[in-house]
Amino acid sequence: MLKKSLVVLLVLLLAITTLAGCGGEKPAEEGTTQPQQSESKILRVGVMSNPPKLDPVFATDTSSARVIYQIFETLVDYDNDGKVQPLLAESWDISEDGTEYIFHLRKGVKFHDSIEGKPTANGGREVTADDWIWTFNYILNPDTNSPRAYFLDMIKGYQDYQDKKTEQIAGITKIDDYTLKIEIDYPFAPFLSVLAYNTFNVLPKEDVEKYGTEQFNFHPVGTGPFKFEQWVQDDKIVLSKNENYWAKDKDGNQLPYLDGVEFGIVTDLAMQWTEFGLGNFDIIEEVDDPYYEEAKKMPNFIERAELGTYYYGFNLTMAPFKDNKPLRQAFNYAIDREGLINMVMNGRALPASGPLPPGMMGYDENIQPKYTYDVEKAKSLLKDAGYPNGIKVELVYNTSEGHKRIAEALQAQFKQVGIDVALKNVDWGALLDAADRLEIPFFRMGWVADYPDPDNFLYVLLHSNNIGPNGNYTGFSNKQFDDLTLRARKETDPAVREKLYKEAEAIAREEAPWLFIYHYTTHGLAQPYVKNMRVPFFGAYSLKYTELDIQK
Amino acid sequence: MLNYVIRRLVGAIPVLIGVIAVVFILTTIVPGDPARIMMGQRGNPETIAKIRHEMGLDKPLPVQFFDFMKNALTLNLGRSYRNNMTVVEAIATRIPVTFKLAFFAIIIAVAVGVPLGIISAVKQYSWIDYGAMFFAILGISAPVFWVALLSVVLFCVILGWIPGTGTGNGELIYYVLPSIVLGLRPAALIARLTRSSMLEIIRQDYIRTARAKGLSERVVIMKHALRNALIPVVTVIGIEVASLLSGVVITEQIFSLPGLGRLSVEALTNRDFPVIRGVVLFMAFIFVLANLIVDLSYPFFDPRIKYD
Repeated sequence: MLKKSLVVLLVLLLAITTLAGCGGEKPAEEGTTQPQQSESKILRVGVMSNPPKLDPVFATDTSSARVIYQIFETLVDYDNDGKVQPLLAESWDISEDGTEYIFHLRKGVKFHDSIEGKPTANGGREVTADDWIWTFNYILNPDTNSPRAYFLDMIKGYQDYQDKKTEQIAGITKIDDYTLKIEIDYPFAPFLSVLAYNTFNVLPKEDVEKYGTEQFNFHPVGTGPFKFEQWVQDDKIVLSKNENYWAKDKDGNQLPYLDGVEFGIVTDLAMQWTEFGLGNFDIIEEVDDPYYEEAKKMPNFIERAELGTYYYGFNLTMAPFKDNKPLRQAFNYAIDREGLINMVMNGRALPASGPLPPGMMGYDENIQPKYTYDVEKAKSLLKDAGYPNGIKVELVYNTSEGHKRIAEALQAQFKQVGIDVALKNVDWGALLDAADRLEIPFFRMGWVADYPDPDNFLYVLLHSNNIGPNGNYTGFSNKQFDDLTLRARKETDPAVREKLYKEAEAIAREEAPWLFIYHYTTHGLAQPYVKNMRVPFFGAYSLKYTELDIQK
Repeated sequence: MLNYVIRRLVGAIPVLIGVIAVVFILTTIVPGDPARIMMGQRGNPETIAKIRHEMGLDKPLPVQFFDFMKNALTLNLGRSYRNNMTVVEAIATRIPVTFKLAFFAIIIAVAVGVPLGIISAVKQYSWIDYGAMFFAILGISAPVFWVALLSVVLFCVILGWIPGTGTGNGELIYYVLPSIVLGLRPAALIARLTRSSMLEIIRQDYIRTARAKGLSERVVIMKHALRNALIPVVTVIGIEVASLLSGVVITEQIFSLPGLGRLSVEALTNRDFPVIRGVVLFMAFIFVLANLIVDLSYPFFDPRIKYD
């Protein structure tokens, strides 16, 4: 009898909970997640992963950046085409020698007065030069361990501050409440671009101290168009409109237009696409290959070249690629980039002949050599390289379906010129470890700009100062190249810089430390009723939702 | 009884230590430095070294293991490398989701599996029997991810009965489809087992005696046969808890449910060792507990079984 009643009880329980579930749907319609509601303008964004960090000081990845861009703000920003434009600094003056920057700060910029429905410690006060000084000192403090602090190692007094010889960094000072001075050790042309990197946002001291480094990540407070409301790990992040936001549109209307943003975390791309089709998302992060053709026909699908390069690195410190330029060039002539892009990648990339991507200063498609698909030339170079009967190498790539498809296609192409490539996949951590130590002869890598300047490619990835985890995984070391990129770093005349980078690019192409494969493209997809949708040249993830609107 | 429970719980301690030792060794011998991964593709060597030091990764492995075990005793499982949340908090916030999912799945499995098994046994070789066993074979052999994707297409896209993935604002409707998908395999297994167990029992002498006494067929089946047939079924339910815990990994991933399965996938792909160890320890504990509960329930089904 007891078990009978137990079964009945269980069945009843199931029925009740199921019914409760169906009933529960209704109140939610007034909430923020249901597609039916249209009164409040909540932008629902489908993203692929739970961001690890909402504290900009510690974030290094694009999934975190996507959210951070909405909450925090930097001194300067990029326009849609990558030109530096004012953000919290209204204007700036640069000294003639290029080592002193005076920023005129915008008045009336206020920190968020509340998050998660509760008042913040700063109380919504105005941002002044003191806040910037405190913020930079906090980020660059060696005890903070910000992974991107070293981006600003040219600021005067950086090293002394790192070595704890000074209490404050010497190069950042206040002229008055709305004027900030930053001095750097040497003229560094991309300095403004680096300041736009999304680590260097102004932070409210009171709230950072209230929550501490560990908890600020879960209670971020900034000045951006949206305020933090809720983060359900692996599920969603909810932001609400910052009513006190400083910006207005050109007609004088208060920005942002949206009432809030909800990031829904859906790992499975097929599911994300399905949800978009159902109208449960207004924007999705990624359109996977199977849906690309369909997405392309949609009105709010935007695709453009991204500042990034996908490559296979040759280790120049070990056989067979060490001191063997003809071999590296042979590899570069042996692959059919257009074929690969069209057959394997749905045409979603641009062929690469050098490290610099199109749209970047110093990129010029006429720079020689231009690597085209040339089997005969590849064979003859292979002979010059000392491998008339072909060569066998192992390519190490990190586990991913996309990388695998590309590696297999290139493996087949290589075979035609007598290059036998064995494929080995390891996970990302293992690949990075081995690449840092220059332990593997032939490996997959890719790079997307941190800041839109050729310095971030040529100096960072190929200068001999950066061999190892700093970015130069091939061990490329070329005196002439080093001189050019170092000079270009310090040169302030854009025309001269461009010339220097073109020369450096030509050396990189000629020396071929990489198998240049393709340049990335970036894309964004929004529902037709999302107005002012755009894709910044820096990548879809860097889109700020300040001017987006929903008009159904 | 109490002695038995205490004995079992004490006996579980070496099992848990063993599990954690294996996981500890596995997570530390794999290549890939968590401090390095935290830095993104490009990292400053000095900062990496400092972070390694702060995480204690520069200590010798035995010391790291000893530290971990010592802290685990006080329920201090460390902090996630990825977002600095304490592991206990990370697990605690995910438990409700996974628990609801697993609970509903088990209920569905029992509520569907047991009756189906009984009917199949009683009406052996009828169309109901064939139908039920066809369902059972299908349920056992169909992969979870495939069933999940098809069910989304059918119920969310074509029929529109279920709003979609995620957990919405916590409404239970979001759990219906994942629970059914997750419960399908155990339901099928339970149906098959109940059937074969019942078939064996209803041929026993005491069942014939019960019928000869003139008891109604319903009483014979439900009271005399089922109770005895359920012992192997209950054992399987205990074991199925383990496969359910691995099933939640796939189900949560596809339905975007923020539970332990998602947490473990994220932790694995990001070399988040403290979280991996915490989740494995927790799952091992649940497994031990589930089997203990199953063992303790035997006397209810068969009074001859006693624990002293």
